[in-house]
Amino acid sequence: MTPTATHPTGDHILTVRDLYRHFGGIKAANGVNLEVGRREIAGLIGPNGSGKSTLFSLVSGTVTPDRGQIRFDGREIAGSKAYAVARMGLARTFQIPALFDNMTVTENLLAAAAQGHWPGAHERAAETLALLKLEHVAENRASDLSGGQQKLLEFGRAVMRQASLILLDEVTAGVHPNIRKIILEAIARLRERGVSFLVIEHDMEMVRSVCDRIIVMDSGRVVTSGSFNDIVRNSEVMQTYLGRPQ
Amino acid sequence: MKSRWAGLVLLIAVIVLLVLLPLLVNNYWLRIATGALMWAGLACSWNMLGGYAGYINFGHSAFFGLGAYATALLMGDPLGLPFFVTIPAGMVTTAIFAVIIGAPTLRLRGAYFAIATWAFAEVLIQFATVVDFTGGIGGLGLPPFLDERFFYFAMFGAAVLTYLVTWALFERSRFGLKVKALRDHEPAAEAMGINTSLVKLQTFVLSAVTASVFGSIFAYWVTFINPKSVFGGDITDQMVVMVLLGGLGSLWGPAIGGVALFVVNRLIWMYWGDTAFYIAILGAAIVLVVLFLPNGIAGLFARRTAKSGAVLDKVVNRLVDGEGGQR
Repeated sequence: MTPTATHPTGDHILTVRDLYRHFGGIKAANGVNLEVGRREIAGLIGPNGSGKSTLFSLVSGTVTPDRGQIRFDGREIAGSKAYAVARMGLARTFQIPALFDNMTVTENLLAAAAQGHWPGAHERAAETLALLKLEHVAENRASDLSGGQQKLLEFGRAVMRQASLILLDEVTAGVHPNIRKIILEAIARLRERGVSFLVIEHDMEMVRSVCDRIIVMDSGRVVTSGSFNDIVRNSEVMQTYLGRPQ
Repeated sequence: MKSRWAGLVLLIAVIVLLVLLPLLVNNYWLRIATGALMWAGLACSWNMLGGYAGYINFGHSAFFGLGAYATALLMGDPLGLPFFVTIPAGMVTTAIFAVIIGAPTLRLRGAYFAIATWAFAEVLIQFATVVDFTGGIGGLGLPPFLDERFFYFAMFGAAVLTYLVTWALFERSRFGLKVKALRDHEPAAEAMGINTSLVKLQTFVLSAVTASVFGSIFAYWVTFINPKSVFGGDITDQMVVMVLLGGLGSLWGPAIGGVALFVVNRLIWMYWGDTAFYIAILGAAIVLVVLFLPNGIAGLFARRTAKSGAVLDKVVNRLVDGEGGQR
């Protein structure tokens, strides 16, 4: 078995075991093992092409694994359809915001609640707009938003799903510091309500400030995991990012 | 708010005018109005899948034809069923065909769905041409009922119901949110828990069944049908152009496009008797709309104007690159 990113409490919302997915000769997931605890904010870091986004696609059902197990909230979900995984309580964002461009900001939020979370959706959409400070663009089309506002809106859709685990794919990448602050505050508030997070991020300051534990991936597998201080002192992680000495 | 009230007043005025129309015009113009209502309804039925869900159906005439043949077969010898019984029978038959065709083809990406639906309509033309019970190429006659007002109000009722259902389902319900979400970004819609295959199929069936109702009324109205007159590809072509002209994915666009093009068609026929000229106008209309009016005529009056050609972009991108409507 390849290295495992173990969560210390043993109370896991997500467990991935020996997960493989190859695209031709590219080993995007090559025996991934990791766990995410309940109410945990786990950071997922690694160089470009290390398999982080593929792991999100595998866990969320967008891509089917070649083999391996994915247990979410006690249920095996490997190979399940994306909509079925979402209905179990897993929400995700995409690396490039995947908005419903021709719909308004409010309609985007309502569409996220249209399946399974409809009662009270309008009230929750108003709350989410307030939480993310998007009230002033509520009736704008999603395609008219700035890049940062689009990231906020996509995060807002995940919030509307009332998920127990949210996968965030570079949600603060390239956004204005004010928007970054709004997102970080929202993540903290949601965690207080019992939501767990697995966060792909390149911004080490964000990783340090928000993540309880960091999981490092390289070449389609987990290299190590631990606290931020453990990770920055880990020579293997340094080699992963900077390369091995010749 | 002001424009909303103005819109409502205009809608009520149009409905009152349409109700009173048989008292105001002669039978010739009433027939033209009946045809305009039919095309407005048919264009709306095509727009349900093409405009709201972003899946181009090039075989929509198949469902119009199924409704027409259901009515012709059931009203003719030996069954002789009443007209109003044949409409639901046609709807059920069409729904069954739509599920059989839609379930596998709606999983296809890009142009494959469009090609598959086109092929389906072609198969039905050939089938209806070679088998006996459809009357073959000679077609089928129906018992004549020469009451223009009856057919006008039948088409009017069907059109009003079609637009009411479209408004309620696609503009005012969470079903409409799901449909538009999958048009704009199918993987993201799936990630929101939406079973996009099911929603597409439901939309496809609704769109097909609506077309079959107009087919049923049309068959009884014209009292004679043959494979070409009800399954012909030109019927679908006209629906597509009407929706593009009026406004793809909008509620009133198909009505505007449907009425405008049908009236142009009749005027050309009236003054020149040349239908080939109308085909040229259809082609020119497509080019002009794509170049200068990508949101259609309805886009000129929309409260929130979409980014120029945004819906058209989604639909064309899905058709060309097969990436589920993503740019």
